[in-house]
Amino acid sequence: MQRRRLLVGTAKAIAVALILAWSLVPIAFIVVSAFKPSADIFAVPPRFAFTPTLQHFADLWSKWRGFFTGLLNSAIVTAGATLVAVIASTMAGYAYSRFRGPAMARSALFLVAVRLLPPIVITLPLFPAINALRLNDTHVVLIVLYATFFVSLGTLLMRTFIDKIPAELDEAALIDGASRFGILRRVIMPLSAQGMLALAVFVIVFAWNEFLFAFVFTSTRAKTAPLFVAEMMGSLDSFDWGVLFAASTVQLLPIVLFVLLTQKHLIAGLTAGAIKG
Amino acid sequence: MSFGRAKGRPWLPSPALPFLTPAHLLVLGVIALPALYVIWLSLSSSTFGKAPTFVGLANYANALTDPYFWRALGNTIVVVLIVVHVELLLGLGLALLFASGLPARRFLLAAVLMPYAVSEVSAAVIFRFLFDLDVGPVNVALNAMGLPMLEWSVVPAHGLVMIALVSIWLHLPFTFIILYAARLSIPAQLYEAARIDAGSSLQTFRYVTLPLLMPAILVAMLFRYIFAFRVFSEVWLTTQGGPARSTEVLGVYLYLDAFRFNAFGAAAATGWLMVVISLVLGAGYLWGLRRQMVSDAA
Repeated sequence: MQRRRLLVGTAKAIAVALILAWSLVPIAFIVVSAFKPSADIFAVPPRFAFTPTLQHFADLWSKWRGFFTGLLNSAIVTAGATLVAVIASTMAGYAYSRFRGPAMARSALFLVAVRLLPPIVITLPLFPAINALRLNDTHVVLIVLYATFFVSLGTLLMRTFIDKIPAELDEAALIDGASRFGILRRVIMPLSAQGMLALAVFVIVFAWNEFLFAFVFTSTRAKTAPLFVAEMMGSLDSFDWGVLFAASTVQLLPIVLFVLLTQKHLIAGLTAGAIKG
Repeated sequence: MSFGRAKGRPWLPSPALPFLTPAHLLVLGVIALPALYVIWLSLSSSTFGKAPTFVGLANYANALTDPYFWRALGNTIVVVLIVVHVELLLGLGLALLFASGLPARRFLLAAVLMPYAVSEVSAAVIFRFLFDLDVGPVNVALNAMGLPMLEWSVVPAHGLVMIALVSIWLHLPFTFIILYAARLSIPAQLYEAARIDAGSSLQTFRYVTLPLLMPAILVAMLFRYIFAFRVFSEVWLTTQGGPARSTEVLGVYLYLDAFRFNAFGAAAATGWLMVVISLVLGAGYLWGLRRQMVSDAA
């Protein structure tokens, strides 16, 4: 028995070490290497004692000024997409929570079924259409695309959260002469804030990191941060790992910290959406 | 409590309409109508900037006779199979490990979820560095131990492994959290009962945990299958489909058709083939899996 416990304990310790090596070490590698002098980046075995330097960040600033515009573009697009997705999903989620019937079920199925279409297929018809509308390379395109691709999941998620709010509350407000939009704003939204927050976390992570749509639909004015990182990786001949790590660090650190802070909501959202929906 | 409930009415209840409109406008305008247009596009010869002309099924015939299409399809299936199953095994193992009690559980949970926040681009940076053929620490270590290196930019099979690796790393948190949540929702009394009946831990897993986790396992596999079939960025940012188009997947094949070779009609045909094949394969696979489960239970 004693021996068995020891064995289980050892096995668990190894498992924990593997978990950390698998999920944290790669991220730590980027962030730590961004502060290493170029000579130490390639040291084998990896060098842990080094004099931290901001040289790579300075190089990033002087050689890739556009990257910082990219960060701003990413922030604008993320904020816009989150706002649109959360509002549209909360409205639809409210409707699906309070009204039932075959037509409602069919329209919900439609919302979910269209998500079976791969985004890359949708870029084909959208590309000429967006060019014709002269919306190419604008923030609006990405905001609308990102919001749309989260509105189906978002609606289901919000429905799950709004279902928990007793309908008697709306009923009472309705009798008091409140409009349905008034109810949504003053009753439903405050009480489903946790769901809205969970949805916002999803959209923010997606929009901040998205590559494909940004790659196809932006070129200069609305180009987002991930595209700049990809471009740096592409200029492989004069490859500067230090600058690449610095850019990657700036791109990922805010969102990693954000996810750490909002982890609770993220889990609530994932489990509510996936298991019940 | 009858307010607003329209049982059996064939049309959408009118008070619901204004609330449904924004979401449906977005989905209709951005996904559904364009998808229908893709059908028309796939039946026409279209290059960007020119009016399409009807060519019937020629684009489909071209795609289905193009060896690169078949290679891309094969690669996609290989990557999907690796990704879905490895993620399922790792996710399940992790979920059971967490459920069995771990020290510093909250910290470890945060650690496992962390890659969810990392972009495909940054993940590509990490893995390209770790497995760089000259300086990558993992490859250097493998070499020093006398093991073969992962020559992802040279050997096609290694390239696919690299793509699968990046994809698994990015998406394991999703698979894990679904399975872990499902595991936590299994009532502890059931394990209590299994213990009293003196079931071995393997038996407990086989007769308690696994059957009760099945719905969640199917949900996780379905989601991951659908999303893995679209894989694009993980390939584009690592091997870019090379060397010599050998690690191309359907997403990359389609992208090249449309945006490099300017053949939107051909790309549209590939797009619809991609949708249909993924649905047929996915439905068939899940149907078989479900049937197997039912016959197991009987």
